[in-house]
Amino acid sequence: MKELFESIAGQIVAGDSDKVVSLTREALEKGATAEEILNQGLVSGMDVVGERFAAMDMFIPEVLVAAMAMTDALEILRPLLTAAGIKSDNRLVIGTMEGDLHDIGQRLVGMIFEGAAFEVINLGADIKPQAFVEAIKKHKPNLLGMSAMLTTTMLKMDETIKLIESEGLRDTVKIMVGGAPISPDYAEKIGADGYAPNAATAVKKARELLASV
Amino acid sequence: MYRRELAEQAGNKFKNNERIIAPLVGFPGFTLTGSTVKVATQNSREHYKAMKALVEQYSPDVIFQLMDLTLEANALGRFTLFPVRDPSSIPTPEESFEIADLKELKKIDIAADSRMQGYLTTMKLMAEELPKDVLRASYITGPFTLAALILGAERAAMATIRKKDTLHALCEFSVKIAEKYMRLQIDAGAQVLCILEPTGGMLSPQQFQEFSGDYIKGLIERMKDTAANIVLHICGNTMHIIDLMLETGADGISLDSRETGVDLVVVAEKTPEEVVVIGNISPTEIMLLAGPGRVKSAVEELMDTMKTYPNFILSTGCDLPQAVPLENLSAFMEAGRESR
Repeated sequence: MKELFESIAGQIVAGDSDKVVSLTREALEKGATAEEILNQGLVSGMDVVGERFAAMDMFIPEVLVAAMAMTDALEILRPLLTAAGIKSDNRLVIGTMEGDLHDIGQRLVGMIFEGAAFEVINLGADIKPQAFVEAIKKHKPNLLGMSAMLTTTMLKMDETIKLIESEGLRDTVKIMVGGAPISPDYAEKIGADGYAPNAATAVKKARELLASV
Repeated sequence: MYRRELAEQAGNKFKNNERIIAPLVGFPGFTLTGSTVKVATQNSREHYKAMKALVEQYSPDVIFQLMDLTLEANALGRFTLFPVRDPSSIPTPEESFEIADLKELKKIDIAADSRMQGYLTTMKLMAEELPKDVLRASYITGPFTLAALILGAERAAMATIRKKDTLHALCEFSVKIAEKYMRLQIDAGAQVLCILEPTGGMLSPQQFQEFSGDYIKGLIERMKDTAANIVLHICGNTMHIIDLMLETGADGISLDSRETGVDLVVVAEKTPEEVVVIGNISPTEIMLLAGPGRVKSAVEELMDTMKTYPNFILSTGCDLPQAVPLENLSAFMEAGRESR
């Protein structure tokens, strides 16, 4: 079975969705549990993708293709995971700021977090501060991700954090920010808990933040 | 102008202990004129007023038209949002694009688009009325970026692997649109054409060369019958594609800030002297969020770092948002002049 898991991981890295799906089915037929396939196949493959992305050995197109392959396999595993009562310990709500339609990076971050066994609720692009607050109330995440690609929309992050504070929700969630114009200094200035320059390091940073809770 | 004139002018200034100062500034012009992005990108006179105000107030050596990555795509009929105070944008198209759809796009004459005509009218006004020693520049959407606006960025990224034929067909079309608009801009009086290819920055070097670099190289080659200087600007960290950007034959490359990972000295070391290196004060960290004192020290630091390179042009890493305080812009220009 170990070899099969390694093949799944390898095909995730190669971005071959058809092979990942057929190998996932094969592993289930051979008696592997959905959780084993998730952790030893998909997550392990996405870990490699994340590392290679951070090392600039893989780029956004390859990472997207890999993440899509993972998502296709997750479709098969999700009902089984739910039936087995297996829930992720971590829940991420993520969205792009109001007025900003750029969602490629944010979607990538969401998919990589899924690949790292987070439950991900992606609100999409052009999300108003109030909608982030509503999503925190509704989904009760332990992590909130906000993304901006524009120098104009990044300023909405500050506004959103202030609103989360005024609603008394700030202590319930760690907040991470990212996107092209964002810097660690800006993240600190607006009171975010963390910043990451790319999707791969975002997972690492998130794990550190959540471990400190 | 003649090809490589930017580098020659930069070299001449360098000999006199001076530098060309060319911030990518357009939107802060509205703070001076009281206009908005929406009005100025749809009204040539308001656009021109912002250009004129910036030239009168700051005397840059190059004045860039408003950066508008929706201009060509909008002229091709793509659905575009025009907020009053934020730059226009194109939402991800809901339907996927097929090669057959290109036939319809090819029927569109972008020169008949009123907004594009407005940009050309603004350029004519700039050529007629602004001081002749200020170089007039306009932006052109790069082939992969325009393809990504038509397809949707994520689909374009995936297409570099899964739908290469469709993407090539689209890039081939996009680069023809770029050429057409460039020639219209030159006829209107543009002396510097700055190709914007921000979406290309997410590609691997091989993908960049295949879907962007080679198309831009061909475009620059075809534009050799004109006197315009062509600059290639890509924002974000471009260190992985610098060699390929230089291989396009552009007269200059314009790069983002140190904060994004760009090392201008490394770039300058590999750039031939007849090609200018333009950059790279951070538009957000420094120009938007810091005070005039920090702007001044950042410019001085950059000028010092680049002091041995005659082909360096002082600029910002990317376009400046309207919210940049005007005193920061003054500090940028003053520091640039004092330390050159």
